[in-house]
Amino acid sequence: MEKNYYTIDPLGKLSCAKCRVPLVKGKAKFMYLDNGFPVELPVCPVCGFVYVPEELALGKVLAVEKALEDK
Amino acid sequence: MLVGRTKSLCPVCLRLLEAEKVTGQGGIYLEKRCPEHGKFSVLIWEGELSDYLRWGRENNRAEPPVLPRASEKGCPFDCGLCGEHLRKGCCVLLELTNRCNLRCPVCFASAGEGQGRDLPLEEIAAQYDFLMAHGGPFNIQLSGGEPTMREDLPEIIRLGREKGFGFFQLNTNGLRLAAEPGYAKALREAGLDTVFLQFDGLDDRVYQILRGRPLLEEKRRALEACAAAGLGAVLVPVIAPGVNEGQAGEIIRFALAHMPAVRGVHFQPISYFGRCALERSGRPITIPRMLRLIEEQTGGLMTAKDFDGGGAENPYCSFHASYMRKPDGSLRPLAKKSAACCCTGSDDSRLFVAGQWSGEERRDFGPEGALAETSALDEFLEKARRSTLTVSGMLFQDAYNVDLERLRRCYICEVDGERGMVPFCAYNLTDTRGRSLYRR
Repeated sequence: MEKNYYTIDPLGKLSCAKCRVPLVKGKAKFMYLDNGFPVELPVCPVCGFVYVPEELALGKVLAVEKALEDK
Repeated sequence: MLVGRTKSLCPVCLRLLEAEKVTGQGGIYLEKRCPEHGKFSVLIWEGELSDYLRWGRENNRAEPPVLPRASEKGCPFDCGLCGEHLRKGCCVLLELTNRCNLRCPVCFASAGEGQGRDLPLEEIAAQYDFLMAHGGPFNIQLSGGEPTMREDLPEIIRLGREKGFGFFQLNTNGLRLAAEPGYAKALREAGLDTVFLQFDGLDDRVYQILRGRPLLEEKRRALEACAAAGLGAVLVPVIAPGVNEGQAGEIIRFALAHMPAVRGVHFQPISYFGRCALERSGRPITIPRMLRLIEEQTGGLMTAKDFDGGGAENPYCSFHASYMRKPDGSLRPLAKKSAACCCTGSDDSRLFVAGQWSGEERRDFGPEGALAETSALDEFLEKARRSTLTVSGMLFQDAYNVDLERLRRCYICEVDGERGMVPFCAYNLTDTRGRSLYRR
């Protein structure tokens, strides 16, 4: 069964599925090939779950990975 | 000592021959014997056998051509691509015209000979459609002849964009870009990404020998025009033994000084096909020799060990390394994805090339919502674009060193109205009297 870590209400507000509290803006860091990128993303204030929007993962994050790699 | 067996051709009559790769003086040789024209032994790798074997990383991921054509005569006489081919294609050349405003002593396409002919726009549209139906989109290289001889070049690029192709590079001598204000901008607005600029050195003696006249000043002006228009530029030197093998380092330093407009240097050690006024060297430039020239002439700023063979094409066809320039001016080679993954495919290569060689970004990643703040990624991407340079090269095959194992993994194709997609080296192959297998 697919596990959901978050819920989105009809207004687009994100909540942590486990802790049942709204996600808040918090600090996170992407690490790739010895490079770190401090960002702020929706996080659960209780368990620390970080929500990475799909368009971010497949957009900028993927672009950064590719910029750090030779082919 | 026998290293491997393959098939090749007789350089005189283009007959199919069994061939052996063997160790010999100073390197690895391809040997073959034609019953009519005798034995041929050609240097294909300068250096140790262990280095040769290490370079040849296997990549067995199947990537058959889409809708291959039937083969009756066998490889390489039925290219198009046939079902025996092992790659579906990555970069495809469209030869828009055979007219040219230079008459280079060295020209694989023998441009400017015979009657000038432009490929009609409807045939170009048909070729775009053919490519889309046969595994596209591919990266498109607009070539010729000199493609800027055509007044409708922007229209040709726009048409390709409309048909769904995402990356366009222009194979050009740069004369029109240098001469005509606003031309680079017009091409950029039509959807051109990169100018693949013939750039053989920083000495007009070199241009006199390879291109028939001094051109350096025009090359500089063409690059200024590209930079002003936001077009990426890749410097493409043909390297010929005895002519400009001493220019590799200077060309790289010039590229570094002209980043980010210059996105890369792509060396093409000379191949002896088409119109070629130079005698074939007994010591042709091989991959190890080219890398040694780069290392020696950049004073070790770039080293041979930074480079890898291609992962999607046959590794003995190419070399590449990408660098990020640090604030102190030193270079850091980018991590080799190939070290962790042997599964590079044509599509990976296609997107990599498009990303590395393009000019200013067109990308828009869309909104991320009020809870996200990712400016560190934006800043890095902008910095990466401004400080990354790719150095690469491709060693085309001629009738002397053609190896059908390499040819079957070729992913650079010429598109031909009758035959479809033909691997570049098969398309341009000529015998010692200049007769071609495919080119008409």
